[in-house]
Amino acid sequence: RRRAVCGRPLESGSGMSAPSMTLRQSVALVWRSLRSMRTALVLLLLLALAAVAGSLVPQIGLSDARIVSIFRDHPLRARIYDQLGLFDVYGSWWFTVIYSLLLVSLGACLLPRTRAMVRNIRTRPVPARDLDAMRHYAEVAVPTEPDRAIRGARSVLRRRFFRVRGPNGQPSLAADKGLAREAGSLLFHWSFFLLLVGIVFGKGTGFSGKAVIVEGQTWTEAHASYDGSVREGRFLDDHHTGVQIHVDDFTATYRSNGQPEDFVTHAELLDAAGRPVRTVDIRVNHPAEIDGVKFYQFGYGWAPVIRVEHDGVPIFDGPVVCRQDPVPKGVSALQLPWNCVVKLSSLRPQVGIAFRLWPDSRALYTLLDTGQSMPMLTEFAPVMTYTAYEGDLRADQITSVAVLDTASMRSFDDGALGAGESVDIGHGLTVSFPDLRQYTVLQVSRDRGLWIVFLAAILLLLGLLPALYTSRRKLWVTAEPDGTGSVLKVGGFALQRRSQFEEEFARLVREIGRTGEAKVGP
Amino acid sequence: MSSETWARISTDTFNVTFFAYLAAMVGDFHYLAFRRKPVWRAALFLTTIGLGSQGISLVTRGLAAGRIPIGNMYEFSLLLTFLIVLAYLGLVEGVSKVRTLGGFVLAFVVVTLAIAVLFLYVGPAPLIPALNSYWRQIHVTSMILSSSLLALGCIITILYLVKDRRERRDASMPPPIMGGAIDLGSETPPHFEAGADEPVGAATSRKGWLPAAAVLDRLAYRMIAFAFPIWTFGIITGAIWAESAWGRYWGWDPKETWSFITWTIFAGYLHARATSGWKGRRAAVIALVGFVSLLITYYAVNLWIVGLHSYAGV
Ligand code: HEM
Repeated sequence: RRRAVCGRPLESGSGMSAPSMTLRQSVALVWRSLRSMRTALVLLLLLALAAVAGSLVPQIGLSDARIVSIFRDHPLRARIYDQLGLFDVYGSWWFTVIYSLLLVSLGACLLPRTRAMVRNIRTRPVPARDLDAMRHYAEVAVPTEPDRAIRGARSVLRRRFFRVRGPNGQPSLAADKGLAREAGSLLFHWSFFLLLVGIVFGKGTGFSGKAVIVEGQTWTEAHASYDGSVREGRFLDDHHTGVQIHVDDFTATYRSNGQPEDFVTHAELLDAAGRPVRTVDIRVNHPAEIDGVKFYQFGYGWAPVIRVEHDGVPIFDGPVVCRQDPVPKGVSALQLPWNCVVKLSSLRPQVGIAFRLWPDSRALYTLLDTGQSMPMLTEFAPVMTYTAYEGDLRADQITSVAVLDTASMRSFDDGALGAGESVDIGHGLTVSFPDLRQYTVLQVSRDRGLWIVFLAAILLLLGLLPALYTSRRKLWVTAEPDGTGSVLKVGGFALQRRSQFEEEFARLVREIGRTGEAKVGP
Repeated sequence: MSSETWARISTDTFNVTFFAYLAAMVGDFHYLAFRRKPVWRAALFLTTIGLGSQGISLVTRGLAAGRIPIGNMYEFSLLLTFLIVLAYLGLVEGVSKVRTLGGFVLAFVVVTLAIAVLFLYVGPAPLIPALNSYWRQIHVTSMILSSSLLALGCIITILYLVKDRRERRDASMPPPIMGGAIDLGSETPPHFEAGADEPVGAATSRKGWLPAAAVLDRLAYRMIAFAFPIWTFGIITGAIWAESAWGRYWGWDPKETWSFITWTIFAGYLHARATSGWKGRRAAVIALVGFVSLLITYYAVNLWIVGLHSYAGV
């Protein structure tokens, strides 16, 4: 009986006072309390409560900007939150403690239940007396003698998938049904361990990060290739894969009202040796995969090709990735210009040029004319405004190519530059803007535990259905001679879903009665 | 027909639905108090009319937008209430033959619809690419289906708590001299036969206002037990969708987190029902906490808490 195994209430007053408990006894007590249903219940509710905290306080990796603003505006509160791990609830020690205890409790509960289940499968149902004292009881008279009658009852029960024991010399049967309930419940609960294995294995051996790739460029999967930080698993010993992706073209389409319609990266995947494998279209919801590495469409941006000549000698030439400032509330990102930087560190004094790109120049002119901003859905006569600075780039402190620190610089020229144009900015420098390209942002990740997680989810669901919707039923039949025929006494009960069993019981009794009728005669 | 025509039919049928449910709710409460069969029949008829026209409203909304109508919160509310009423008619009135709960269920439905049309309404429009996924349709549909069953279960749980309190109070008082409701007692389980909830004796007896607490408890449990695997399935399909859209199956984004919280609380409810000392009222209280969590998952996350999901907006 499952509840006798697991749902046993704690025997708190078992005659021991705490100081006199031996270590063994205290361990036993802890173990017993861990496997009580009440503990499981409390732990489940605690887990929910912890998750509530995680949804109310901004989390690292999810809303970093909000965390930064809390640190700025409420430093004390931020420090307390930080100490308590509230900015990283799901990685905090107390969250780990809650779910670990839950899993230990689960294991402590499942082991004896599984043992009991195995025992239960091995042993057939046991005979019982006092059938008429059972919750459901009925008598039917049949015209056949007891042995035949009991065989008839047996075949009815077998047909209804009862496990039947008997008749063993005596005209009586013991039957039961519904082991699927407990089996399903065990499968469901055990699946959580499989789920955990899948999660830990996948995260531990996986990685994920963002790749920024300009049209026409090839990107190689390696630690240094990622844009910003890359999350790498603890057991990532074989490091990265070296697979490559060559982006031919990126296309974003919008409806006339500015609602996005489609984002596609047309690309070619190459294996680690650089051999082309296949061409793919990567869209939102449609990732591409090679060697377990998946590429997801994440975002895009603009990358003007910029060429700088110094006294006629090219000193810079190539696409420059432009980015947007954080988008203020109530403004569409499509209305904002794109910023990028070209640093010319070989010149003395050093020169840095900050660009502001308007992919659709009408947006810039509308803004200048009317003060209204307008969404830039497609490329249209792109234009860049620029400011050129001279001085010290402080390359030792500012390592990012996208950041220009103008603190120790002085601006010496500014202006605008249309696509296909060149401009002389002084100091012998000519800047030209021959072409505008797009870049795509792909989320790149590998999770080799995915199929384990998926399998666990399927098993979990498969176990849940019988655990909730079937019930354990027990039934006994005895036959006694009665004149020329016999009387069958049927008793039984269900451990769950009792109201349904009432109907089932009546139906079984009717069917058992009918087998007798059909066999009338010798 | 043009998109505008479909959209107009959708709003018109929405209005029919709203007033049909409102009238049916009044009828159901009248029946609860005075037990006039014809009033119950009229309310049932109105509920059916409302359900039919709500079905039309949903379909035409989909035709107007050119997609399955589960793209925003207005449409979620429409489908949610549709399924609540459907489950109520099918499972409570139909299978369980309990007739006195319609007013409460429709009250919840009417409020939900009012919120939807007053605060959440947006015109029919196509979806942005991230939301345009096969898995998402399955995910959203199962989440809404199980939400409707959970909501129904929790409404019945509230009524259970009310009735249970009354029964306890009555049990501690001397029995009435005459009339009054039959005592189903704790030994006899309710069997869901026709009229098991119908009190014998004076029809206006205050005791007979609601089905016996045991009946309500059982009914609520059934709804929640029915809903729980569907919710589980919904979370799994949501994870599959998230994997294909964002490259991770779980990211603790607020909507994900809250669906997990709701799931955990209802798992707690199912456990409580198997734990001695937690059955009955305590389990019911857990179910109510789960209901609050469901409402937060459903409304608050989209409206106040930001996350990846929330670009679905309202
Ligand atoms: C990981 C967290 C857990 C979840 C999500 C969970 C979920 C569930 C669900 C949904 C049921 C209902 C299915 C049924 O009636 O058989 C259930 C039943 C049960 N659970 Fe858990 N459970 C968890 C942890 C535990 C733990 C730690 C224990 C042991 C202490 C436990 C013991 C039981 C038992 C004994 C039942 C059978 C109740 C009955 O129907 O008699 N569960 N669980």
